Amino acid sequence: MTVSALTRPGERDRLIVKLSEIDWLFVLVLALIAGAGSLMLFSIAGSSWQPWAAAHAMRFGLCVAMMIALAVIDVRVWFALAYPVYGLGVLLLIAVAVVGDTRLGATRWLAIGSFSFQPSEVMKLGIVLALARLYHGAPAQRAQLSWWLLIPATMIGVPVVLVAHQPDLGTAMLIALTGASIVVLAGLSWKIIAAAVIGLLATAPPFFLFVMHDYQRERVLNFMHPERDPSGTGYHSLQSMIALGSGGLLGKGYGLGSQSQLNFLPEKQTDFIFATLAEEFGFVGCVLVLVLYAAAIFMGLRTSYLSHSHFGRLAAAGVTATFTLYVLINGAMVMGLAPVVGVPMPMLSYGGTVMMTVMIGFGLVQSVRVHRYSEVTSGKGTFV
Amino acid sequence: MTQPAIFFEEVNERQGVFHRRAILMGAFAGLGMSALGGRLAYLQLFETQRYEKLATSNQFNFKLLPAPRGVIVDRNGAVLAANRPNFRLMVARDKGMDPEGTIKTLALFVPLDEVRQRRLLKDVNSAPKRAPVQVMEDMSWEQFSAINVRAAELPGVTADMGEVRVYPHGGAFAHVIGYVAKVNREDVDAAGPNPDPIMLHPSFRIGKQGVEKAFDLDLRGKPGAEKVEVDANGRQVREDPEGNIPSTPGKEIQLTLDLDVQLRAEEVFGVESGAAVVMDCRNGDILCMYSGPSFDANKFVRGLTGAEYRALAGYDHKPLFNKALTATYPPGSTFKTMVALSALEHGYDPKTVHVCTGHWSFGRVWKCDAVHGAQDLKSAIATSCDIYFYQCALAIGPDKIAETARKFGLGEIFDIGIPGQKKGLVPDTAYKRRRFPKDPKWHPGETPSMGIGQGYTNLNPLQLCVMTARIANGQKALHPRLIRSIGGVEQKSGAAWGDLPVNKEHLAFVREAMKAVTTVGTAARVADLGLGPVKMAGKTGTAQHYSYGGGRGVHGTAGAWALRDHAWFVAYAPYDDPKYAIAVLVEHGGFGAAAAAPRAREIMRTVLLKDAEVMQRVQSPTPLPDLPPEIQTEDGLPDAPTPVQAVATATGVSAE
Repeated sequence: MTVSALTRPGERDRLIVKLSEIDWLFVLVLALIAGAGSLMLFSIAGSSWQPWAAAHAMRFGLCVAMMIALAVIDVRVWFALAYPVYGLGVLLLIAVAVVGDTRLGATRWLAIGSFSFQPSEVMKLGIVLALARLYHGAPAQRAQLSWWLLIPATMIGVPVVLVAHQPDLGTAMLIALTGASIVVLAGLSWKIIAAAVIGLLATAPPFFLFVMHDYQRERVLNFMHPERDPSGTGYHSLQSMIALGSGGLLGKGYGLGSQSQLNFLPEKQTDFIFATLAEEFGFVGCVLVLVLYAAAIFMGLRTSYLSHSHFGRLAAAGVTATFTLYVLINGAMVMGLAPVVGVPMPMLSYGGTVMMTVMIGFGLVQSVRVHRYSEVTSGKGTFV
Repeated sequence: MTQPAIFFEEVNERQGVFHRRAILMGAFAGLGMSALGGRLAYLQLFETQRYEKLATSNQFNFKLLPAPRGVIVDRNGAVLAANRPNFRLMVARDKGMDPEGTIKTLALFVPLDEVRQRRLLKDVNSAPKRAPVQVMEDMSWEQFSAINVRAAELPGVTADMGEVRVYPHGGAFAHVIGYVAKVNREDVDAAGPNPDPIMLHPSFRIGKQGVEKAFDLDLRGKPGAEKVEVDANGRQVREDPEGNIPSTPGKEIQLTLDLDVQLRAEEVFGVESGAAVVMDCRNGDILCMYSGPSFDANKFVRGLTGAEYRALAGYDHKPLFNKALTATYPPGSTFKTMVALSALEHGYDPKTVHVCTGHWSFGRVWKCDAVHGAQDLKSAIATSCDIYFYQCALAIGPDKIAETARKFGLGEIFDIGIPGQKKGLVPDTAYKRRRFPKDPKWHPGETPSMGIGQGYTNLNPLQLCVMTARIANGQKALHPRLIRSIGGVEQKSGAAWGDLPVNKEHLAFVREAMKAVTTVGTAARVADLGLGPVKMAGKTGTAQHYSYGGGRGVHGTAGAWALRDHAWFVAYAPYDDPKYAIAVLVEHGGFGAAAAAPRAREIMRTVLLKDAEVMQRVQSPTPLPDLPPEIQTEDGLPDAPTPVQAVATATGVSAE
C-alpha cells in the first residue's frame, strides 16, 4: 500500500487500513512484557500455570483484542466521550465514598451485583481524556499562564481528593501526576511549574504530619530508615532488595529464587513481580525488561508526536505518562528507592484491573495513531 | 459557522510547545529508566554478596537440637542417671492456625482436661510466634503415631521424640546427684548476659541440685543443629541433612559412689532420718553418701505438683535436705577420739587414771551414763566414760583440742564438687571471744562439755567420716573425693595431699582404743561384722539434742522424736588393715550403739563383701574338707562350693 493510496479521501476509513495502521511493533513489545509476566508467574506458582500464569496470558490476549477494537474507533468518538467518561468517573468516586465496599480499611470498591471494581481506574483514563479535550479548545496563551488554569486544576483536584480520601494514596498520586504531565505538556508556564514544585516541597512536611494516615506515615518513615522495623512494615522493602541483590548478574536460575519461591517476598505475584524476575534472571533479565518498557514509552510518545490533533497528542502523551509513572514508581519501590505504595508493574504484575486500564489507554493511543490525520473538532467550530 | 475559538498561529505555537515538551518528557522518562538501571546495577552487581548472605539466612534455619545429656555412673560403671526416649507433643502459634481449635482437636487424642486446656491456650498465646509449647510428654506409641499421621492437617503441631532424664534408682542418689528440671527465670538470669540459646529449647532441662547442677555445663554437651530450608512462615520446606551440625553429647561423669553400698544404706535407714558416709581410707573415695529419708528425683524431672512439693517440704524428717553435708549435729562421744589424740599430742600420759563414780563435781555435778570405776585413756574410750573425758579435756584445754580436731578435717568444707556443705563448728577461746562479745571469756566449765563432743561443737557426717578415715589411714591428710572422672579425665585423688602433722604412734593408740570399743566396749556386739577375721573398729556417740538450756532431752527411743538424742557411729574396717571408714548419723535415733552402729555394720559389710582382698581373707580360714576323688566324680554333687556358699559359711562360722 502506497502513501499515495492513503491520501485518497475515505481510504483511511477502511477497517483493513485502520488495522494496518496499528503499531504492531508496539503490540509485540507489550506481548513480550506480558509474556515475561506469565513466565515469572509460572515460576512462582511452583512451575504451574495455575493460579496465575494462564490467567495472565489469557487476560492479555483479551486485552489485546479489546485494544484493537478500541484502536479502530474514530478518535472523534473518543473526543466526544471525554467529558462524559470524566463525569461518570467523578460520579462513581462520589458513589464509592457514599456506598462503597470497605476492605482492609479502605473504601475503594463499588459492587454491582457480584461484580466489584474500583472507579479510580475509570478516572485514570477519564482525567487524560478530559484534560486533552479541555486543552484541545484552549489557546496556547491560556494554557501557559492565566486564571483559566483554575479549570484544569479543579478537574485534577476533585478526583485526586476523592481517591485520596478512600484512602488510596498511590492512585491519587498517579492521577495527580498524570494530570500534571498533561498540563505541563500543554505548555504550562515554567514559572508556574517552578512555583508548584517549591509549593509541593513546602507543604510536604505538614502533609506528612497532619494529613497522612498512620500506616502511610510508617511506610514513609521505613522508607527513609529501612532498618527501623525489618520484620514489620519495612519488611517488604528489605525482602525485595534481598531478592534483587541476591540475583546478581545472571540470576539464580528459573524457578530457583529462594526469596520468591519460599514466600519471603511479599505480594510476589503482584506489586513485587519485578523482584522475582530480578532474583531469577538477574541484572541481564531486568535490563532486558526495562528496555522493553522504555521502547513502549518511546513508541507511545512518538504516536503523540505524530498526531495532527491537539486532543490526540495530549491523550496519547497522557496515557504514556500514566504508563511511565507506573513503571517508575513500581521500579523505585521494588528497588528500595521509594516507599511501598500499591502501584503494580503494568503488564508484568498479575491483576486484571490494572492490565485492563492500561490496555484501554493503549487502545486510545492506537486510535490516535490510526486517526492521526483526522480533523478533530468539537462541532462548535473549534479548529484542529 | 461561529467564530473560531483559536487562530491558526496559536495552533502552530501550541503544537511547537507540545513537541518540545514531549521530547522533554521522553528525556525525563529516559532519565527515570536509567536511574532504575543504575540502581539495579548497584544492587545486583556491587552489593550481591551482602544480599546473597541475607537471602541464605532467610532460606535456611538451624534448628537447635539438645545434645544427649551426659550419663552419670558409679565407680563400677553402673548407670545412676541416664536418658530415655520420650514422645512429646508440642504446639506453636503460627499464621493461619487457631490455637483453641487445635488444642480441642488434640484433646481427642491425648488426655487434656479443661484446666490443662485453658492453661495451654494461655501459654500458646503468650509464647513468641512459632515457639513451641509442650503439650504432653511421655506419650504412648499409639498416641504419638495417631498425632504424627495427622500432623500435616494440624498446623503448628509437632510430635517428636526427645530424651528425658531418668534416675533408675529413684531416691538412693537423689541428694548427691540432684535432678534436672525445666529452666526458669532465675536459671536464665544466673547464666549471665548471653545465656546459651539451648536454654530456651522446650525440651531442655537444667541441673538444679547436686552433681547435675554443679557439673551442668559438662553434662550438657554441645547442642547440634538441624539445617532446614524454611519458608517465610517458618514452616519447614525441606531438610538438608548434609548441613546438619552434629551435637556433642555431654560428658560422662563417674562418681566414686558404689551402687550396692548406696542401695544398702537406703535399705538400712528405712524410714529413719539420718546420713551415712563411707570413704575408702586409702584414697578418700566416697563410696556412699546417703541421706534419709530421700525422695524420687524422677518426679522433679516431670515437675512436682504443689501438693507433692508441700508434702516433701513440710515433713519434719526433711527429705529434701542432704544431711550428710548440709546439716550439722553435735558429734557426741565420737569426738572423744580427737580429745584423746590431742591429749597424747600434748604430752598427756595415757596411763593417767580417773575414777568414775557416775558423778563428778566441777562447778556443778556432771554425770556419766554408768559407774565405770578406775579408767585410763584407752579404757575410757572403749567405755565412752564421760567423767574421764571431762577431766582429760580440762587438762589440755579447748584450744589444743580444737587445733587437733581441725587437723582431722572437722569444721572444714571439702571441695567434693557439689555445693551445700555446712562448715559446722569446732569451738575455741578465740571463737568464744568473737562470737560472744558480752561474755568473751572461755569459762573452765565449758571445757568438759567440749570433751564429750557437746556444747558448741557441731559437725556434719562427711567431716566425721573424713576424721575417721584420717585416723584409719594413719598418715595422709586424706581428702574426700566424690567425682572420680569427668569425660574420662581422672580427678585429683583424695590421697594426693600431704601427711598429717600428728605422731603416728598416737594415731595407733587411738585405733587400738577404737578396736576396744567394738571388742569389749560400748559397741561390742552390735559392731560385729560376722566376717571372721575381718573386724571393725569404731566409736559410738550419743549426742544430746538439748545439752544446755534447761530441759534435758530424752535418752533412748522413748519420748517425742524431735527431743531424742542423735545417734552416731564412726568406724573403719578391717581394723588390722584399714581400708574403709564410715560415719553414720541417725537423727534423733537414741543411743549410738543401738541406732547407728548396727546400720554402720550392715553398710560396712556390703562394702567389705565387694572387696576381693577382704573376701579372700574372709574365705581363706574356712576349712574345706579334702574330698576323696571318687566322691568328686559322682553325679549330683557340686564340683566345688560357689563363692556365695562360701560367704554364707564364713558368716556362719564367725558368729562366735
